[in-house]
Amino acid sequence: MSGRLNVVLLIALLGCALVLVKTQYQARHLFIEVERSQTEARQLEVEWSQLQLDQSNLGKHERIQASAIKDLNMVPVTAERTQYLTINGKNNEQ
Amino acid sequence: MGTNARQSARPRKANAKGVPFSQNPVLAMKLSAWRSRLVMFVLFVSFVALVGRAFWLQAMSTDFLQKQGESRYARTLELPATRGKITDRNGLVLASSIPVKAIWAIPEDVLAEPKEKIQQLASLLEMSEAELRKKLDSDRQFVYLKRQVEQSASDKIEALKINGVETRREYKRYYPEGDTMAHVVGFTNVEDAGQEGMELADQSELAGKLGSRRVIKDRLGHIVEDLRAINEPHDGKELTLSIDSKIQYLAYAQLKETLAKFKAKAGGVVVVDVQTGEILALANLPSYNPNDRSVLTGAQLRNRVMTDAYEPGSVMKPFTVSLALETNRVRPETVFQTGREMSVGPAFIHDAHESSALTVAQIIEKSSNIGTAKIALMMPAQEMWELFTKVGFGQAPKFDFPGTATGRMRNFKTWRPIEQATMAYGQGITASTIQLAHAYTVFARDGELIPLSLKKLDQPPVGERIFSVNTAQTMRMMLETVTGPEGSAIKARVPGYRVAGKTGTAYKVEHGLYVKKYIASFCGFAPVSNPRIIVAVMVDEPDPSGPHFGGLVAAPLFSSITANALRTLNVPPDTTVTSVLPDNGMGDIM
Repeated sequence: MSGRLNVVLLIALLGCALVLVKTQYQARHLFIEVERSQTEARQLEVEWSQLQLDQSNLGKHERIQASAIKDLNMVPVTAERTQYLTINGKNNEQ
Repeated sequence: MGTNARQSARPRKANAKGVPFSQNPVLAMKLSAWRSRLVMFVLFVSFVALVGRAFWLQAMSTDFLQKQGESRYARTLELPATRGKITDRNGLVLASSIPVKAIWAIPEDVLAEPKEKIQQLASLLEMSEAELRKKLDSDRQFVYLKRQVEQSASDKIEALKINGVETRREYKRYYPEGDTMAHVVGFTNVEDAGQEGMELADQSELAGKLGSRRVIKDRLGHIVEDLRAINEPHDGKELTLSIDSKIQYLAYAQLKETLAKFKAKAGGVVVVDVQTGEILALANLPSYNPNDRSVLTGAQLRNRVMTDAYEPGSVMKPFTVSLALETNRVRPETVFQTGREMSVGPAFIHDAHESSALTVAQIIEKSSNIGTAKIALMMPAQEMWELFTKVGFGQAPKFDFPGTATGRMRNFKTWRPIEQATMAYGQGITASTIQLAHAYTVFARDGELIPLSLKKLDQPPVGERIFSVNTAQTMRMMLETVTGPEGSAIKARVPGYRVAGKTGTAYKVEHGLYVKKYIASFCGFAPVSNPRIIVAVMVDEPDPSGPHFGGLVAAPLFSSITANALRTLNVPPDTTVTSVLPDNGMGDIM
């Protein structure tokens, strides 16, 4: 009787040990996965900063004004040529 | 057979006497007992030694050993923290850090490499081979070859796999707006620490805090496990300035134009939001490109709006007159005999435009020194001093910015009457442009002074009442006449908006003497019906042979900046467009 119990317990122990090995293996795999994702996140953040910088660079008012005047033949707005619309419908026009 | 069996049953005999072999007396050893005891003892001592050693390893030096073991598989990684971005009020990036690499070398190892590799390295570092060799000609074990190398170049260098060439991660700060914003934002050094401007003022907030983590690495260098909780890095806080980069650019561009037109040495502009005290633009010239600081002069670095204190001249007059109005010593219609000149003690005061008699309102409109001096001498010195101090003259500005000037104002106890008279119209007292703009919030805000801020605010600050609403509004009307047809600064007018302000022209003082160098300034606000912005401009040393008065140099600059800023802020006009252009023959169509 006790001999059989021992066998059952031994098998259970072996089973547990194998599961532990497998779990540990999976944990490490997942850990590496997490690491990789975090690195990627950092990379993307850097890229985003770079893009924001590019946006600032390209959206510089100096550049916009220069290309508006040169490429698009636009002129700066003056109050004389502006039609002002007020909320209550009266239009305040020159 | 029977005999054989009998024989074999008998024990073997070594000799005829029949003594068994094992009891042969020849074999019997006469060993003394101590020998076996000695062996026993030696064995015992060895065991004790083993146990002792085991105890020593397990209990006494366990920490040391574990540390040694750990150092063979565990690594501490430094987790980098990025310096916070600086953005303008609309979220446009003004300063941002991008990771780059510092390339360093162990000279001995590099010099042992083949010549072609060193040549390739030199070309990737954008230097000549001779230059590179000069750098490597050193006894040290660590030499920086080049810092702040962009990622793409450093990747190529790493691909060369040169022995003794290593890289280290660092950050480079980029300033997309360049010279336009240089004085406000400032810059950092190669160590990513702020050196100037807001980068310096807010260093502690902007700087990130490095983190660290302890990990187990496997044979291939992969991280296998965290040994303890990660000490998270904290990135620097993002800083949102109150600056509107569009207004900033326009102000900067207009200032540049004005300086070129009047051949002036330097200049500064500040635009303040009346409702919140936020600084919308702050431009200085000459400026510099913060991305390339290889050649920098002190003049370029100076944030003149903040650091240059000068005699403000007539810009001070409204304060003197407002105090007299507030204390009911004068009324706007009170008449003063101005005449040709006025003597105070041994000195004389003159007016630029002679007149016989002026009302208080006209004294402001025509910017009369004599009238202002007469009003000032009606008041005790202490009252004037208290007012000037309360609106911030002679005081360090209350916001955090490196190198702000306090200006000079002596204690009232030492004022002589002539000094009191000249201070009333802005001579013998110095103030910076930012102090003037700050003080003018009193007029623009119905008598309330509010603190200025370079950071975007969530809610407007609480103001401090200096004058009654009535006094402030009266002064506003008077200041509007300055830009009227009879005023001293008709060129400050803005089509579509009512503007008010005061010109100032000050002689510069060199070695204690007034010299023929000028500072033309204008400080004003618009629209008068409900002020939205204060604009203060200062032009340093306009060519004295050309126009150099505030009304001719600074007023037009004020006008163009105000027009652009109001349009950018979508402020509705409060007057007709043509009413400010009196002689264009178009009349008033509205």
